[in-house]
Amino acid sequence: MVNIYEQIKNNKIRSTFIISLFSIFIILVAYFITQSYNLDGTFLIFAFFISIISSLGSYFYGDKMVLALNQAQLANKNNYPLLYQVVENISIVNQTPMPKIYFIDTYAPNAFATGRDPKHAVICVTSGLLSKLNRSELEAVIAHELSHIKNYDIRLMTIVSILIGSLSILINMAYRSSFFRKSNNREDNQANTIITIIGFIMIIFAPIIAQLIQLAISRRREYFADASAVKLTRQPQALIDALTKISQDDSVFETASTATASLYITNPFKGNKIASLFSTHPPIEDRIKALQQML
Amino acid sequence: MLIFIGLLFVVALMMMTFYNKLRTLQVHIKASIQEIGNQLKRQADLIPNLVDSVKGYMKHEKGIFEDLTAARKTIETAAASNNPKLLDESQKSVNKVLSSLKVIVESNPELQTSGLVNNLMDELRDTADKLMYSRRTLIDLSADYNSNIVTIPGVWIANLFGFKEEKGLSIPQDASVTQVTSDNLKNPKVQL
Repeated sequence: MVNIYEQIKNNKIRSTFIISLFSIFIILVAYFITQSYNLDGTFLIFAFFISIISSLGSYFYGDKMVLALNQAQLANKNNYPLLYQVVENISIVNQTPMPKIYFIDTYAPNAFATGRDPKHAVICVTSGLLSKLNRSELEAVIAHELSHIKNYDIRLMTIVSILIGSLSILINMAYRSSFFRKSNNREDNQANTIITIIGFIMIIFAPIIAQLIQLAISRRREYFADASAVKLTRQPQALIDALTKISQDDSVFETASTATASLYITNPFKGNKIASLFSTHPPIEDRIKALQQML
Repeated sequence: MLIFIGLLFVVALMMMTFYNKLRTLQVHIKASIQEIGNQLKRQADLIPNLVDSVKGYMKHEKGIFEDLTAARKTIETAAASNNPKLLDESQKSVNKVLSSLKVIVESNPELQTSGLVNNLMDELRDTADKLMYSRRTLIDLSADYNSNIVTIPGVWIANLFGFKEEKGLSIPQDASVTQVTSDNLKNPKVQL
């Protein structure tokens, strides 16, 4: 038995740990690459800058892009009164402003949240979700999504992907610059060979390792959002039931895209038996087990 | 010498951060109490609609109008006072009106098929939910504040500047709330 405050503290500690791991990893790799390829600091700044610019669009307009991609329509108090009431109530206890509410017309039950901070938040549910869940289960799902917004998970994942992008650009630049390297002193040749080999290994593996850590961060934030949702509603069983219903449903989410897969409540690409290390969401059984500890 | 000044600076910064955090939490707690009053008012404003919809069936229930006016007055004063205890007690006057209404709806089956009554019953259920969530906000904020003023280093700031514990939501501390009686343990009997 773990009480809700303990659960949230656990999640915060593990989340901090894995984000620190990621930051240290990125810094070490960037340092090593600049050192071993004799690039100076300006390459680092350049790579970072390019990555930021390419992410600016998704940071400020990501919500609009995702909604347009999924042909989402605005939901208001009159045509979706139950949904509106539920979002309103959870916003009160979440202490965040009321987000914009959208719905997607598909049988697959799912929901996602987007938006860089609580003031610019958008929440979207599918019509399949509304028809299959009862009020308590809907509250649990909305609480999970609004917790993502309150915990700034969208902003966190954006920053993480900017850093990974910078790393990829830096590695790319280092690889290209290695063709133009000046010849070294004979005495340093052996050390240089080792560094070159390690450099090659890093070029191949660093992006993959960074991706794996990014996915681990995403999974940890999902557990955190589950715990935060229970803190809001104090009804773990409702979230357990909702997750069970959603995972047992066979409908395919046609307009789901890989770019936004991490924002959904469960992985919309159900057909793929991806190894769990590469999944943005923890397995449903594990999430339910964590929730059952709070019953 | 420089290290000493740097250390002093860090300590001052920490003190400022914690002081601001405690002050902000105090303001948020007051706001959450106002929110409870806000939700109570909303509920009180909704009830006359329900009363109207059942007016035709209330030939014998005159008392309900007086109860309703009294309830709305109690809520107005409680909301203005921002006292959580008063707010809780004003809820009792509303509950009185709601139970009388419930009796009317139950004893008139034609009413139950009326869409208007069902819609308003849904709305009332929603107001009860909103009240629960505003109370929970007050509980959470008070818990956050109270744990900050007893843990290190917040406890030093609290003692230095005289921050006191916040009461939060006051539940009657008599035995009934935190104890399970032997009656609770018996299986409920259903009489059809």
